[in-house]
Amino acid sequence: MLTFDNIVVAIQGATILRRVTFRIDAGQTVALIGRNGAGKTTVLRTVMGLIGPAGGRLGFEGRDITAMRADQRPGLGIGYAPEDRRLFSAFTVEENIRLPAEVARRPKAEIADTLDRIYSMIPELKEMARRPAGQVSGGQGKIVALGRALMLGTKIILLDEPFQGLAPILAARYGETLKALKATRPDISVLITESNPSLLKPFADRTLIIERGDLSEIMNDEPLVA
Amino acid sequence: MTSDLLLIAALDGIAYAALVFLVAVGLTLIFGVLRVLNIAHGSFYALGAYVAASLGIGIAASKISPWLSYPALAVAAAIVGIVVGSAIERLLLQRIYDKEEVLQLLVTFAAFMILDNAQRLIWGVQPYFVATPLQLLGNVQIGGITYTVYQIIVLPAVALLVLAGMRLFLRRTVSGRVILAVAEDREAARAIGINVPRVYLWTFVIGSILASLGGSLASPTTSILPGMGTDMLVLSFAVAASAGLGRIEGAAITALLIGLGRSAAVYWAPELDVLVPYLIMTLVLLVKPQGLFGTLQARRI
Repeated sequence: MLTFDNIVVAIQGATILRRVTFRIDAGQTVALIGRNGAGKTTVLRTVMGLIGPAGGRLGFEGRDITAMRADQRPGLGIGYAPEDRRLFSAFTVEENIRLPAEVARRPKAEIADTLDRIYSMIPELKEMARRPAGQVSGGQGKIVALGRALMLGTKIILLDEPFQGLAPILAARYGETLKALKATRPDISVLITESNPSLLKPFADRTLIIERGDLSEIMNDEPLVA
Repeated sequence: MTSDLLLIAALDGIAYAALVFLVAVGLTLIFGVLRVLNIAHGSFYALGAYVAASLGIGIAASKISPWLSYPALAVAAAIVGIVVGSAIERLLLQRIYDKEEVLQLLVTFAAFMILDNAQRLIWGVQPYFVATPLQLLGNVQIGGITYTVYQIIVLPAVALLVLAGMRLFLRRTVSGRVILAVAEDREAARAIGINVPRVYLWTFVIGSILASLGGSLASPTTSILPGMGTDMLVLSFAVAASAGLGRIEGAAITALLIGLGRSAAVYWAPELDVLVPYLIMTLVLLVKPQGLFGTLQARRI
């Protein structure tokens, strides 16, 4: 459903992604592993259109979306939780989660339904719902960002280093949430980046390695489905 | 005698603060969202006044109801804000959002100069005076002082309505929240599907309408002259900077502070009249460099 075909990305003359090619099929959970600065975040930002590739072709469900405007992409069913969360501190947690759907002018009933589903999957979000997003801790913020990504991310969600900086108990909780997501919505694809490969073993169907902009795939001996 | 003078100064200050607030809130809204300090903002104030005066003269000449001159004030603001505002944003600002601040200042300053001369071209340099809206509503007695209803009731009421309306719009409507989201984080806003260039256009038009509204509402109370936009621009900048750029409620309070300070100076230290707003601004910024209501914020790149 998501295909990178020889994508090249350069920022200020420095090449960040070198002819990156891979595909993710519907329902797959894919780990993207690499060191800091290897290009993981750039892969996700390219999917969101926040950075334009200098070459190659980006496909989504058979469409070429290489040139599509960034603001039109979430509406395709792509949710994105950036590494630094990027919540809007002017709003409450619930307003943050709802906003993408409101921007997309989804009907009220549909928004309420999706919100209920997100709350039943991640109950702690409901407890935080009325709190200003500026006041939740960094770890809680990651979970809020996941909830927000799920609002429009009905086809694929992109999670950028979700475990980075999480206290062990929150990391375990985040992991459970991902398992719950896979159990209730097996149709949603997930692309997770991480610098520590062992963390994602329990979730990932496939593992991609990125090093200095070069991407390769590790063939798992057996698919590790949680 | 002294208490009368105090009251008059206070009433003057309130009436003036209402106008300054309308212009300053537009400036601060545009800065908060677009991150561009718009020097051309003063031109919208002047254009609003000129267009309102032209409409007022047209209404008087055509012998239709003089009460139409009130909606004409709003119409003038809307015309200027929508037509000139969207033209400037689309043709000029859109090209310079990624450029350095110095360049942005120079470009909006150039736009200000062009608009200033366009006003002279269209309306000439002779002063206009269209006081129908001021006279129609008559006077009101406040503590033994006779003051015009228009200046002491209508102007502050409009300012308060705009303040309350802005709060409601920004907090309670999706369009308003979208504006707040872009103000806080452009890239995160794009990543959740917000069309940032369109938000810039809306915001600029809203801010321009507010400045034009300040001008059109001011037009019955003053003679309309070339250069009026400059004074108001600098004053509204002092208000916005004292409040902390991007602060809407703060702008209301500092507008009142600067309005009252200025009118006090007019009566007790007329030679300082022009200076007082900047003295207030300087004092505020010396004590709180981020403005009275501003918060220290790490610059995002």
